[in-house]
Parts: sequence; C-alpha cells; structure tokens
Amino acid sequence: MKRSGISKGVLIVIVAIIIVIIAAVVLSYKQPSKQTTPTTTKPTTTPSNATQQAQKKYADVIVIGTTDKVSDLDPANAYDFFTWEVFYNTMEAPLGYIPGTTKLEKKLITNYEVSNEGKVYILHLRKDLKFADGTPCTAKDLKWSIERVARIQGDPSWFVLDFMEDVKVLDTYTLEIDLKKPVSFYPAVLAVPTYAPIPSSKYPPDKISSDNTAGGVGPYKIVKFVRDQELILETNPYYYGASPKTKTVVIKFYKDATALRLALQSGEIDVAWRTLNPSDIISLKKNSNYKVWEGAGSYIRYIVFNTKMPPLDNRLVRQALAAALDRQSIVQKVFLGTVEPLYSLVPKGMWSHKDSFKDKYGASPDLELAKKLLKKAGYSENHKLRITLWYTPSHYGSTEADVASLIKEAWEKTGLVEVTVKSAEWSTYLELTRKGQLPVTLYGWYPDYLDPDDYLYPFLHTGANRWLGNPFSNNTVDELLDKAQIETSQTKRAQLYEKVQDILADQAWIVPIFQGKLYAVSKRSVGGIVLDPMMLLRYYLIYKQVSG
Amino acid sequence: MTSLKTYVITRVLLTIPMIFILLTLVFFVMRVLPGNPVIAMVGMKASQRYIKQLEHELRLDKPLWEQYVDYLNRLLHGDLGRSMIWGRRPVINEIMDHFPATLELTVWGFIFSVLLGLATGVVAGVKEGGKMDFAMRVYSIVVYSLFIPWFGMVLQLIFGVWLHALPVGGRINPLLTPKHITGIYVLDSMLTWNLPALSSSIRHLMLPSLTLGIVLSGIYTRLVRSSLIEVLGQDFIRACKSRGLPERSILFKHGLKNALIPILTMMGLQFALLLAGAVLTETTFSWPGIGTFLMERIEYRDFTTVQGTVVFYAIFVALISLIVDLIYAYIDPRVRY
Repeated sequence: MKRSGISKGVLIVIVAIIIVIIAAVVLSYKQPSKQTTPTTTKPTTTPSNATQQAQKKYADVIVIGTTDKVSDLDPANAYDFFTWEVFYNTMEAPLGYIPGTTKLEKKLITNYEVSNEGKVYILHLRKDLKFADGTPCTAKDLKWSIERVARIQGDPSWFVLDFMEDVKVLDTYTLEIDLKKPVSFYPAVLAVPTYAPIPSSKYPPDKISSDNTAGGVGPYKIVKFVRDQELILETNPYYYGASPKTKTVVIKFYKDATALRLALQSGEIDVAWRTLNPSDIISLKKNSNYKVWEGAGSYIRYIVFNTKMPPLDNRLVRQALAAALDRQSIVQKVFLGTVEPLYSLVPKGMWSHKDSFKDKYGASPDLELAKKLLKKAGYSENHKLRITLWYTPSHYGSTEADVASLIKEAWEKTGLVEVTVKSAEWSTYLELTRKGQLPVTLYGWYPDYLDPDDYLYPFLHTGANRWLGNPFSNNTVDELLDKAQIETSQTKRAQLYEKVQDILADQAWIVPIFQGKLYAVSKRSVGGIVLDPMMLLRYYLIYKQVSG
Repeated sequence: MTSLKTYVITRVLLTIPMIFILLTLVFFVMRVLPGNPVIAMVGMKASQRYIKQLEHELRLDKPLWEQYVDYLNRLLHGDLGRSMIWGRRPVINEIMDHFPATLELTVWGFIFSVLLGLATGVVAGVKEGGKMDFAMRVYSIVVYSLFIPWFGMVLQLIFGVWLHALPVGGRINPLLTPKHITGIYVLDSMLTWNLPALSSSIRHLMLPSLTLGIVLSGIYTRLVRSSLIEVLGQDFIRACKSRGLPERSILFKHGLKNALIPILTMMGLQFALLLAGAVLTETTFSWPGIGTFLMERIEYRDFTTVQGTVVFYAIFVALISLIVDLIYAYIDPRVRY
C-alpha cells in the first residue's frame, strides 16, 4: 500500500515538473525576443526649440554591458576605474574634463583663485547645486565630504592627505583649501571623485558605506544596485545642468569578454563596454550591424626589473633586454593591433611625452646592440644570462601568457639569454613583488589624474616606488621630479620630465611595452559615446535613436 | 521507529566533525597559500603604512593560533564574521545575496538532468542491445564528457545570437526584478504574481539550467539503464510477465520503481556535484551565484568570506545528503545503523 503511494507521488511530481517546463517554454515564446524592455518612446524629453525640427526620438533606456565591477559606492574608499565612472555620472567634483580632451572644465564651481604662491585655493561654488534628494549642496557639504575622506583614510585618501593642510568654509558658497606645499597639478586632483560632495545625512561620518546609492550632485542618480548583477541609473531631476537624453541607464555585469560579446549579439545590451577581446573587436568591426568606438587610452604596460637582484643590478644587462624587446610582435600577434607600442612611461598624446627608448634603442629590436651589451657584461653562448620572467594570469586578461611568451622569445633571439616564464595569481604576485622576491615582472598602470607626474613620480621617486619591490633611488631623478611638482610653467615642467624620461631609458629600471586603446562596441542606433584618456563612459552623452 | 530515530541522530552528529575538519582545513590552507587579502584588495598603489593599518584592523597581524581560536569562538556564536575586502560586509549577507541564484540554477539543472537521464535511461534499458540502446549509451558518454563553458557557448550562439529566442546572460531583465522575498526570482515572481518577471526569469534560466542538466544527465542514463536491466531480469518480473500483466505496467509499476532505489542515492551525491558544476555554468552565463563569488574571493584571499562560504556549503550539502539518506531509510527498511 505504502509503496504504491510513493510511486504515485513521484509520478505526480514528475508530471507537475513537465507541465511547469512546458508552461515555461510557452511563456518564453510569447514574450517578444527583444530584451531591452519595450521602450515606450513617449516624448518625455520636452523637445527644445533647436531639436524640434529634426523630431528625433530617443529611447528611454540604454543597456550597457561590462566585465568590470563596482568596488565600493563610497568616494572615500573607491579607487578603481569603473566605480569612478559611476561617480563621474552621479557625483561631480569641483572640476572635470571636457569630453574628448584632457582639458579641465569647471563643474560644481563657477571659478577658483590660487594665491599665496600656489598654496591656497579658493573655490566659488555654484548657487544652484542640489543633491539627488533635492537638498541643497553648499561649501559646508564639500568641506564635510573632504574631511570625511581624510578621516576614513581609505585607499584614495592620499588625494587629500598628501596635499591638503586645512579646509575652511568662507561663506555658504565659498571654500578655502590650504595646501602643505604648492602642487602644480592640484586642479587635476580637484577633478577626482574623492573630492565630490556627498550629503552628510546619507553617509556615516567615519565609516565606509559600500553599497550606498545616495550619490551626490550629478546628471544621474542611482535607483538600484545589485552587486555583480545590475546597476540602474535615472536622470537626477535636481541636476543644475542639461538633462541627459537617455532617462534610464542600465549597467549589466558579465563574467568575461565572451559573455559580453554574446550579450551584444543577442541584443541584450546596446553597448559593450570594457573589456572585449581583441579578436572580438576585430570581428565586430567587420559587422555592419555594430559601431566600433575607438579612443586613445591612458593605461600603460611595462616590464619591471628588480635592480636589487643580480644579474639585473647590472645596467648593461637591463639595457640589453630593453634593446631586444620586440614591441611590434606583441602589439600585432597578441593584440591584433588594438594597442600601440610605447617607448616611455608617459603615454603618447600627453604633454611632455618623449620616445626616449626609441631614441636610445630604436623602434624595432636591435639584436646586435643587445648581444654587444651582453658580451660586455660577461655573457656568451656557453655562459648564458639566465632570468625568470613572472606574469599574472588573473589580472590583466587572458592575453597575458602570450605577452610573456613573446617577451621570452624576443630575448632568447639574442642567443645569449635563457628565460624561464613563471606565473602567480594576482594576490600572490603582488605580495611577492612587494617583498622584492621576483626578478622580472609585468605590470600595468591606470592613471589617477591626467598629468605626467602620475606616470613618473610613483615609479621613479625614492620612497614613492616601494610598491615595485625594487626601491632604486637616484638623486638627479628625485630632484627633477620634486622641481617639476612645484613649477607652474608647463613648458618648464615638460623640460624636466623629458630629462627624467631620458635617464630612465638609459638606466632601464622599467621598460615600457605598450599603451592601451579604448574600445566600445554598440548597436548602430547608439550615438554620443566619447572615448578619451579619462577612460570612462559619460552616460549623460549617450543616446539611442528610435525609428518612427 | 526508534531505530530510525537513532539513525537520524547519528547522521546529524556525524555532520558536526565533518564540518569542523573541513573548516580547519580551509582555515589553514588559505593561510598557507602565498598572498594576502589586504594587498590583493588595495592593489599596488597603497602605502606600506596603510597596509599595516588594515592588517591590524583585520587582526591579520595576530599569531595564527589566536586567529583560529578567535574564529572558532565566533562561529560557535553563529557569527561568520565580516568580509575582509570591499566594504567588509557581513559574510552572511554576501552568502544570502548570492546563494538564491545558485540554488535556483541548481534545482532547475537537477530537474533537467533527472528527467533527461530517466527518459534516456529507460529507453536504453528497455531496448537493451538495440540501436536505441547504443544511441543512448553514446549520448551518455558524449554529454558526460562535454565541457560546460564550451557547450554553454554553443547553446548561447544558437538560441541567443542566431535565433534571438533566449537571453545569454544574467538572471532577469534588470528592470523587471521582483520584490525580494526569497531571492529566488521564479518563486518571488510567482508569490507576487508578477508575470513579466516570471517569464523573464524563466527565460533567463533556460539556457544555464539546460546546459547543466544535459551535462549531468549522462550519469543517470547509465545508472538507470543498468539498474533497469538488472531489475527486469529478476524473477518477479518474469512472474509478472507470466501472469500476463501489460508491458507498460510491468515496466513502470514494477521495474522502474525498484530500479529507482540506487538512483535516489545518486541524486543526493549529484547535488553536491551540481554545486561544483554550477561554478562553470555561472561563469559562462554571467550568473551571479555563489560559485563564481567563491572563486573570486579565493583569488583575493578574502579569508573570512571563503571560510564562511565553505561552512555554508558544507552544511547545505550535509543537509541534502541527510535528507536523501532519510528518504532512503524510509523507503528501504534494510538501511539502519
């Protein structure tokens, strides 16, 4: 009796499951295949006089896919590109950049004055600033936010702590910032989101609030955030500037480049943002259904030699390896031309950039020179230079192993070098580097602020370069960098930086490999994507045209 | 009945040392590995002073045994601690954010695998030695050896890119997410009677769960087949046949029902395997579940989160196998301690 009961139960369950599945299939086919919610294109954006004649209609929703992730939605602790991108769209800083350029523009302020030989900054805030909840934003809020960063001492707090001595409210809309010493690039620092005002009623004064969606003063406000799944932004009705064309921006997070590409091709997303594989970009370029947007990137990749470890403490060895490096083969074979070879730590396109490595070693590998230098250092066919090259497979994408093997190939072409390639996971890699245990490593740099200082000082100045694990120190370089930090004339600063780049090429402590370019791929109907060295998408400029 | 009770108690008690051993292993393995959560999180730009300060805050500068005792002590009080990176949220919150997604995927994958495995296995078992039997055996081997990311991508290409019939990633259309009740979207949208959300979440579930289901169905095919052949060759089946019972009744009422007993054990074991397979499926379909979450946190050496998640996993798997064993003990009175 009992047994037949169980079997009936099992049968009923199976039948129920089958019914559910059939229902699911039926349901799924009833839905229109387009994923991007049927956007009712009612003319919510009140047509301004200028655009009325064209009668263009924009979709209310744009879906952007990315493989990046949000770290902390708190400007006191976030220090990564994607989270900053969200901030640039939801919480502005006193200054910002004109899209498509590296020029600063005023955002939350109407003007600023510099006095006391560059040590005092007076900021005049706009009078119509309001947070996303409608409460006004004044100098008091800006002061509170900056002091909060200093108090919490999170990752990006050095933007405040290293430069600022004091901050004072002069009146409701005027703020004074006193610096410890004059800093020529401080306006660029005032453009990082760490200086964005946030409402004191929504953020704890001395604790990181990592999933906070309150935001600051920006064209968009965050309406929903589900970690690793989605981020939904809507236009901020209290924003002082022009309202964006797209009402709702949805960011969807994907696990890898392949998933991102498939999502674009299946129509789930309108824009595939960072980071697609080089091969995907090349093949999507050939497809007329998509637009490929390209822009100069400001991230650089380079080789770091541990100068405390023989034989790399020998300058001749480092020079030989710099001469033998084949940048073109890496650019063409691994990245299919989607990046550019780089011959200095300061990226191409930034003022003061000088192709120092090209001047010294040539654009293509100079094997003869490399051989000569190695022989001079005492190496021969029978007594080869043996080095270990380290890379990390878990941080710079799937292309990293190929980059390492091409470097090995180029160096071994001299016939005098034997390279062993080893890899370690990101956390291990970082720790071993810091302890100075790895002889040759591959690293990459994303700038904090767009100034040559950020590409030289952290690498070459005594003390600042401890993270490289090979704290080399050079008095001349230190002097030049210190001088450039307080010098206000850009021409004079450029001269100082050029000298530093030449010294680096001669010493070859660090050897630049390539400079990244930025790509975004979108549906044909999408417009307004601007890619520049800031390396972020300005959602408020993006729109999608709807036919009809 | 008393023997069943003893059995249950023994099983539950055995789970405790198992979790303890696992926890200790994970605790020390994580710390033996080179790498440190603080450096992994703050990256290469942070100053030495800041790193030391964070290590102190996270008590990573304490001796290992002290950290261990401290951790066990907290665990006994039901506190899984806080994550060491990114906002340092309580581990339990992180788990509760990601686990429903995995559970949803695994349950559907499980259903698909059992249904497919049963269907193919029965066909193979009934037609033993025939063409269909051969075909089904080939099926089982082929699907069993399929690599999930590859197979998932093939399905994505067919149903997503070419047919535009099903979405290729994510759990639901972000603008349709139902009100949070259980975190399982299908269930939540049913409870709130939100049909667009239900449809969207089911559509998103189709490809990942089918991928997982098909790959894991191979083992059932083989098991159902061999078990069914064995049962169908037994005397009582011959007796049934000689009594002139209809073929269908013999197969389903007597054959399959008896053949299902070993398969039930397999289901319990498979569920743990499913959670492992879910990691690959989650990556392929950008499914924000606990598998990929755990992988990411291992990479960043987020000690507390990894420990917490493993403990949670262990308890969950132990619970499932306990339930299976109990059902088994209930069905088959021979099973007792």
